[in-house]
Amino acid sequence: MDDLLSEFLTETNENIGIVDAALVTLEQNPDDETQIDNIFRLVHTIKGTCGFLGLPRLASVAHAGENVLGKIRDKELSVDADVVTIILEAMDVIKELLEALEQTEEEPEGDDADLIARLNAVAYGTAAPKPAAAAPAAEESSNVVEFSEEVSEAELEAAFLAAEGPDDVPAPAPAPEAETKAELQPGEVSLEELEAAFNAAPGPDDEVAAPPVAAPEPELVAEPVEAAAPVKAAPKAAAKEGAQKETAIANQSIRVNVELLEDLMTMVSELVLTRNQLLQMVRGMDDNEFTVPLQRLSHVTTELQEGLMKTRMQPIGNAWSKLPRIIRDLSHDLNKKIDLVMHGAETELDRQVLEMIKDPLTHMVRNSADHGLEGPEERLAAGKKETGRVVLDAYHEGGHIIITISDDGRGLNVEKIKNKVLENGLATEAELEGMSTQQIQNFIMRPGFSTAEKITNVSGRGVGMDVVRSNIEKIGGTVELKSEEGRGSVFTIKIPLTLAIVSALIVECGGERFAVPQISVVELVRASTDGRSENTIEMINEAPVLRLRDRLLPLVHLNEILRLETAADEVAEQSEVKGDEEFIIVTQVGAYTFGIVVDRVFDTEEIVVKPVAPILRHLSIFSGNTILGDGSVIMILDPNGIASTTGENVIGDHNIEEEALRDANDTDKVAMLICRAGGEEPKAVPLSLVARLEEVDVDTVEITNGQMVVQYRGKIMPLVTMSEKSKMVETGRQPILVFTDNERTMGLIVDEIVDIVEDRLNVEMASSVEGVIGSAVIRGKATDIIDVGFYLQKCFGDWFGSKETAAFGAATKSQRVLLVDDSPFFRNMLVPLLSVAGYEVSTAENPKEALLMRDAGKEFDIIVSDIEMPEMDGFQFAEEVLKDERWADTPIIALSSHTTPQDFDRGRQVGFSDYVAKFDRDALMNTLSQTLRAGGGAR
Amino acid sequence: MSVNEVQEYVTVTIAGQMFGIPVLQVHDVLGSIHLTNIPLAPMEVAGALNLRGRIVTCIDVRKRLGLPVSEDLTRRMSVVVEHHGEPYALLIDTVGEVLSLKTDQLEKNPATLDHRWREVSSGIYRMESNLLVILQIERLLDFAGGSVAA
Repeated sequence: MDDLLSEFLTETNENIGIVDAALVTLEQNPDDETQIDNIFRLVHTIKGTCGFLGLPRLASVAHAGENVLGKIRDKELSVDADVVTIILEAMDVIKELLEALEQTEEEPEGDDADLIARLNAVAYGTAAPKPAAAAPAAEESSNVVEFSEEVSEAELEAAFLAAEGPDDVPAPAPAPEAETKAELQPGEVSLEELEAAFNAAPGPDDEVAAPPVAAPEPELVAEPVEAAAPVKAAPKAAAKEGAQKETAIANQSIRVNVELLEDLMTMVSELVLTRNQLLQMVRGMDDNEFTVPLQRLSHVTTELQEGLMKTRMQPIGNAWSKLPRIIRDLSHDLNKKIDLVMHGAETELDRQVLEMIKDPLTHMVRNSADHGLEGPEERLAAGKKETGRVVLDAYHEGGHIIITISDDGRGLNVEKIKNKVLENGLATEAELEGMSTQQIQNFIMRPGFSTAEKITNVSGRGVGMDVVRSNIEKIGGTVELKSEEGRGSVFTIKIPLTLAIVSALIVECGGERFAVPQISVVELVRASTDGRSENTIEMINEAPVLRLRDRLLPLVHLNEILRLETAADEVAEQSEVKGDEEFIIVTQVGAYTFGIVVDRVFDTEEIVVKPVAPILRHLSIFSGNTILGDGSVIMILDPNGIASTTGENVIGDHNIEEEALRDANDTDKVAMLICRAGGEEPKAVPLSLVARLEEVDVDTVEITNGQMVVQYRGKIMPLVTMSEKSKMVETGRQPILVFTDNERTMGLIVDEIVDIVEDRLNVEMASSVEGVIGSAVIRGKATDIIDVGFYLQKCFGDWFGSKETAAFGAATKSQRVLLVDDSPFFRNMLVPLLSVAGYEVSTAENPKEALLMRDAGKEFDIIVSDIEMPEMDGFQFAEEVLKDERWADTPIIALSSHTTPQDFDRGRQVGFSDYVAKFDRDALMNTLSQTLRAGGGAR
Repeated sequence: MSVNEVQEYVTVTIAGQMFGIPVLQVHDVLGSIHLTNIPLAPMEVAGALNLRGRIVTCIDVRKRLGLPVSEDLTRRMSVVVEHHGEPYALLIDTVGEVLSLKTDQLEKNPATLDHRWREVSSGIYRMESNLLVILQIERLLDFAGGSVAA
């Protein structure tokens, strides 16, 4: 195909896509002038290019569409559904023409007169007297005849006739006129109008009553149109200029054939493999001349790989661009009111993945709008808003992209699904009895469920959902469904970022090595078979399970699934060989979490997934194979396959609320270190406070001045115990948590470090015990939150201005406090302290960030600010705050480690409400509540 | 079929029997190989191996032909053939020479031949000292319910 043509096709297709989307936006927000300009410009470009390439049919449709848009832009026409519909129709025709053009490289034969006529009818409106429009235009163009606006139709016509005739007007004459016009106003407007006027003048004779003077008219009018043609050059040039400005940016990027990228990717994948092989070889040798260059090669390869990955990344919005249009059409066809909300359109993912989810996504959104949402009457009757919402959301999580499609429609009717399941024989009544609502709902994604159209009527959903699911699973993704009858449904799609190179965990089982994609591995647990360690595999009627924190984890033995024992025919021997420990790979497939028991776990390796040979394709348990660094071939296990071979592909039981809660709280999650010290109950400390986890040899612990210390990194570090009860181990190594702030370091002796969990820190109960802030529920267990401040004080009594206090618990609920402090340590220390006292705490790392919050419209009841901060100190910050009326009334409390009377005075002067020594928590708490009370803080 | 047409075969021995594989289909002959076991695979699949960065599926021809498992597992050779763009290694005992044989001398399989042999053989050549069974790669690889032929 001609390069020019193919470029034109790509560009125009893209533009049409944008126009589609923009039109829908415009329809919702008719006064959005930037949208109108944007659409107009794009359509104009299409028209212009068509003309340039000699595609008259396209050009004429685009032209007619442009006329309508011109009218909208000039506010002569208001945007309503009908207008948008007809423009969209025109876009569709253009799309069809483009498709045909792509296939045949020729503009197809055909006639769009009807559409053009209708477009014109909209543009010039049967209601609007067309000569009136023609009049000013003629005035401008011919520059000969002068009219007042009030001239009658007849007069006008007469004038037209009387005019010296466009023939006499020298062709270039209109051009300068137009140019001057262009300088004064957006040039295109008047000219388009002009053109439109000329077009209108001959009149769609069939639609509008024939003008009084009929006979000479066609001739006359035909001429001006032609005269206008050179005029057009001017706006085009102007438009070009505008376009050039844009292309200046566009020039920074080039279009690359996707195949070329794919080839490059394959080659890089091979390079990565070879690099791994080399690394493996060199690893065996101690020091060798290859080490350094190989390291360099390794670096470059990694960078190359990452760079190439980036080129393949595209925003997911590309896959969504068609959706607004689809929703709009659906809402018209079905007489529903639908709002499509899209979040995270900029989330990037691999092009290949993007292509593969495009159709499933479209299908699901269509489904949500079509079957999920009810009609307006039904919605109103159900006490919902008339307009239904379909919300698309995309975000990164781990190595995944999560896409959710939620609607607030009628949800799934469990009873109807049940009936259908029984009807189709997918499960027995007894089986259904034992299933959760969600499991039943998930039947709609089962093959064989949606066999016929009528299922749509039964379940309200389900057309092709199994296809959607299998498509997504094909790329290693999962789909989950949560639905509540009457409230709506949420589909959650989880897909890997990229398909080409994945990180995999290498495990051993029955003497064979296998790779497990890291993406599906949640965690690794070491378990003993003889009950020595705390993780022991227990049996329920020969089904192995593991107690993992607050849940029971079903287990599968990999050697059993792979029949490795029977293959070796050494069942008895195997169980002995297994040894006394086993590794459990906790895996998640959809919402179903299970453990895979393997013999050993090696490290992780970047692997390139290669498909297995065709004779092995039927083995669903493998997703592919690859070559490891040491050159051996390894099979890649497919957790989806394992889940389905081990029985029901059960989907877990998260419900919508839980999910919503999780989403809402995601940002509030705090990583907590769970440990045991002085008692069995778990204790937790915010991980961010902990500088390091260390184990010290008990023999190195010394006592100075009645205080246990160790020499740590060339300094003396005091050690403290949690309580009197907790003891050091007698011999060997003692785990400690190291806390550091600036120069000072302290070690807190704990019995055992249990885990690190991410959870919402919600201190529910203040504690009166020293050293404990309060209790929070972490991973379903009541856990004491360690008050690090207390222990710091215990070690460095001088550090804190006054003696410790129990947390101040009497403050008014949910007063919003903004804490500005550059030291992460103190931010972390004060947040739990303040939140336990019932404040709602937000933090800012520096005054700038705080001021950004102000600009973002956030409001606080009180601000607590450090004084010594880089760039802008607390005094300047206070001045800034007072300057602007948004926060001017918010009291500010200064926190400082220097508490001299001078500081105090200066603080008061710049507007601090009060001044508190940094480590005097009692004073801080008192000051906070007093200040809030004084400032009418009873809000 | 022209009288003078000549076909070249690589001869291999499995359990004392000589077989011929069309030489143009043979890509490689491998000595000792490191095989990765593939659990759950059809029994004819011996495993997978790495051939210069390509993953090659290895077929145990003995199992395919219903012959007993070789006593000496360490000294095995394999012939790499390509089928539908996929490489396969055929596990055999030894590799012999390349023979040029006239196509018109190919004789039909005797009707008494084991069905598994008849399935994969396209005919027999009468050599001076022994018989040469010509293997058809396509048929040889077609054991998992025709999934390869597809």
